[in-house]
Amino acid sequence: MSEFELHLTINGVLHVIQAEPCLTLLDILRDKLNLTGTKEGCGVGDCGACVVLINGQAVNACLVLAAQAEGKQVITVEGLAQDGNLHPLQQAFAEKWAFQCGFCTPGMLMSCYALLLNNPDPTPEDIRDAITGNLCRCGTYQSVVEAVLSTVKVSRKASHD
Amino acid sequence: MTDFSVIGKPTLAKRSHEIVTGQAHFCPDIHLPGSLVGKLLYPKFPCARITRLDVRSARKLPGVVTILTAADIPGENSYLYTLPADQPLLISDMVRYQGDMLAAVAAETEETAQAALEAIKVEYEPLAGVYDVIEAMQSGARQVWPDRGNIFDHLIINHGEIDAGFKQADIIIENTYYTPLVEHAFLETEGAVAYLDENGAMVVYSSCQAPHRDRIQIARALGMPENKVRVITPHIGGAFGGKDEAHVQIHAALLAQASGRPVRLIRSREESILTHVKRHPVIIRYRSGLTRDGKLIAVHAEAIGDTGPYLNAGRDVMNFVAATLTGPYFVPNARLEAYTVFTNNPICGAMRGYGIPQASFACEAQMDALARAIGMDPLEIRMLNGLETGMQVPTGVTIREGRGMKVCLQEAAHLSGWKEHTSEIHHPAPHLRRGWGMASIWFSIGMGRNIPDHATATLEMTLDGSLILQTGAADMGQGAHTVLAQIAAEAIGVKFDSVKVIVPDTDLTFDAGPSVASRQTFISGNAVLKAAQPIHEALLQTASDLSGLPVEILQLREGMVLAEGELLSLTMSELAIKAMEQNRRLHADGFYAMEYPEQLPPGSYPYAPSVFTFGTQVAQVLVDIETGQVTLEKLVAVQDAGKVINPGGARGQVEGGVIMGLGYALMEELLVDQGTTQNSNFGTYLIPTAKDIPGLMVKIMEIPEPYAPFGAKGLGEPPLTPTAPAILNAVVDAIGIPLFRIPLTPERILTAIETHALMNLQNGS
Repeated sequence: MSEFELHLTINGVLHVIQAEPCLTLLDILRDKLNLTGTKEGCGVGDCGACVVLINGQAVNACLVLAAQAEGKQVITVEGLAQDGNLHPLQQAFAEKWAFQCGFCTPGMLMSCYALLLNNPDPTPEDIRDAITGNLCRCGTYQSVVEAVLSTVKVSRKASHD
Repeated sequence: MTDFSVIGKPTLAKRSHEIVTGQAHFCPDIHLPGSLVGKLLYPKFPCARITRLDVRSARKLPGVVTILTAADIPGENSYLYTLPADQPLLISDMVRYQGDMLAAVAAETEETAQAALEAIKVEYEPLAGVYDVIEAMQSGARQVWPDRGNIFDHLIINHGEIDAGFKQADIIIENTYYTPLVEHAFLETEGAVAYLDENGAMVVYSSCQAPHRDRIQIARALGMPENKVRVITPHIGGAFGGKDEAHVQIHAALLAQASGRPVRLIRSREESILTHVKRHPVIIRYRSGLTRDGKLIAVHAEAIGDTGPYLNAGRDVMNFVAATLTGPYFVPNARLEAYTVFTNNPICGAMRGYGIPQASFACEAQMDALARAIGMDPLEIRMLNGLETGMQVPTGVTIREGRGMKVCLQEAAHLSGWKEHTSEIHHPAPHLRRGWGMASIWFSIGMGRNIPDHATATLEMTLDGSLILQTGAADMGQGAHTVLAQIAAEAIGVKFDSVKVIVPDTDLTFDAGPSVASRQTFISGNAVLKAAQPIHEALLQTASDLSGLPVEILQLREGMVLAEGELLSLTMSELAIKAMEQNRRLHADGFYAMEYPEQLPPGSYPYAPSVFTFGTQVAQVLVDIETGQVTLEKLVAVQDAGKVINPGGARGQVEGGVIMGLGYALMEELLVDQGTTQNSNFGTYLIPTAKDIPGLMVKIMEIPEPYAPFGAKGLGEPPLTPTAPAILNAVVDAIGIPLFRIPLTPERILTAIETHALMNLQNGS
């Protein structure tokens, strides 16, 4: 299959990639760019392990052709920490044990990150809705909800100070 | 109470930074230069004779590097898990289930590997398989194996006088219970990456629970000495028993050996669901005899497990079913039977609980049936019959620490407000029924008598006072490495953050046995304590030399040296350097094997375990009698842990277990039609999501277990076990109709309601 040129801004860096048109965004991230933080759990959009953001919206990267992200802003789990400092969500996930095996964690983090971009003060129900598409077989959902809430409380407190 | 500095204190999980930043490498994330893609060929029929298997034209495809069939395996073509070792790595003549493998391919790309699979010519003579476990047991049934019957094993555990027991019973109740075939659904599918290193040794990254067993299996299949095989576990994306037995790591190594190049073999989700071992579907006929005042006097239970065509851990799991069937109750007369039966259905083996969830489901549903029959409260009948320390159970074992049963039961009843349920909120709307149910369990820790159950751990104190822990125990997310690091830190007297964990690598770490049977905290934990002892002594002796104070008053704690609580101006590093200069030992191995001081009478069940943990859960459900939908509203889980080593990890094990148990109760069942699985992805095999979780209250009790490290006995599997029967009992309470089968799908609930209404009509009531 003939390749074409793709322009993706991933975690703030523009990548110009030669790619076959059939490749998904997940293929590009994992196989071409070695950004393996984004996981493949099912390949058909059922599990949410591959959630990334495209222009601020959470999507399953396995269901998106790379070409559909042409010219857009993609954020992956590797883009959360800034200058070596964990994002508050990452810090909260670690502190609240919001994972066990950690395989669903990147997708889970990205769904929560997208939620907070669109809704900075979510209720527990909002958080559960946001992660409904992220399967966690270890069953850490409650800790994920608590982790997200703890970051909201911290930022709420910070904005009051 | 001992004042711990690290045990029981909150810590981050080891390697949490890698996980939250996406830097954690799981098998699929390991890309070695020049890697080939490995793929496996599966059969088109679940039961067939292979009349032709021709890989010649597939081998000629450009980009195809290696294709292996059974004839190309240099060593033993067998998984070798148990004796008899009946499962070939690659089949050549007979297909016995849908997950058999005919050929292994290594090619330059995913597409080429797929093309190679399609180019392999296979001709079959399809055979009528045997897919119904009851049919399989009949004489004249089609035999899965020509040289052995479909009933591979029939275990009987006899205790007391069963006939005399039933004669003394005032009430005898018999029911038959059914549990489903269940999928592990670990989020990371089975995978391995294998390559030959510069010395010709085979290195295999394996997503597994038993790295040292993998090493044996790989060596024998490859025809290599074991010391030339190195198995390393990267991050493991869940396992739950499904990665106990080898899956694709041997095939990956065979392909790497044959091609001379690195091979990456990762199963797709569909492949994963179609192939690896499952939780046994079990049919349990359960007959109980009760005295008028509610005392259990006899139990005869018979469990039939469909184990698929290969033995794997099938018989071992069914043994655990039998040994658990009487539940956490004193039953003076019992006959417990388990059949391990071959069919052409998916292979069954280890899954979180190892037979105990099936047995507990039947036992606990039956306890409520008994309570209803004599008009006794479910709490009361459990209190009346509950096990206590010193009581003998049907395997002949005497319970050495049994307080957990009643402590957990009472606490769960208290926290759930068991006695305050009113009939008022039983019918919140005309179409809704609310109900409450409880279930109590006992759960054995470790493999049981006469089964190897040991671990080695290694500790090294460095000269800057930091500690290195080497463990062969796989951490699949259950937190073993964090817990072992805490035990090491406490035992030596350093900070948790001063402990580095070297994760399983068979060239660097010794065998800790598989991470199964909720055993690593107990077994590897004790191994860590044994390794710590000589190092701790050397450091203390050195502190005594340097301070001039007697050893007896010195203490090492979180990197500090204390004399009767007073801080001395000595650092761990100073102690370590001085100890080294004085030729004292700063590294040690600790070996621990499960202890069975109690001698059982001759003829006893040979694999009887001796360590038990207990738990009770109470469920509150809401049933929509028009749609059949069951909602788990609240669940109280009280679990004995002996001692909590890490509060975050412990809570996670209980919550995660409950959520897996709720899937077992309400939604999970692999539908297999004539040997072929119908729901092989997460769109059709549903597991609980964030929207399914109930209001969850977890309480962990700490009743120290003799012989256990700090009294901690293991927490990985038990919390899953009471959930399904507690939910079933709650649904029965809600709708007033007895139920015997999980999962409680809307269809099953509606059918039960309609059947019940029809029967009432016929009975004129």
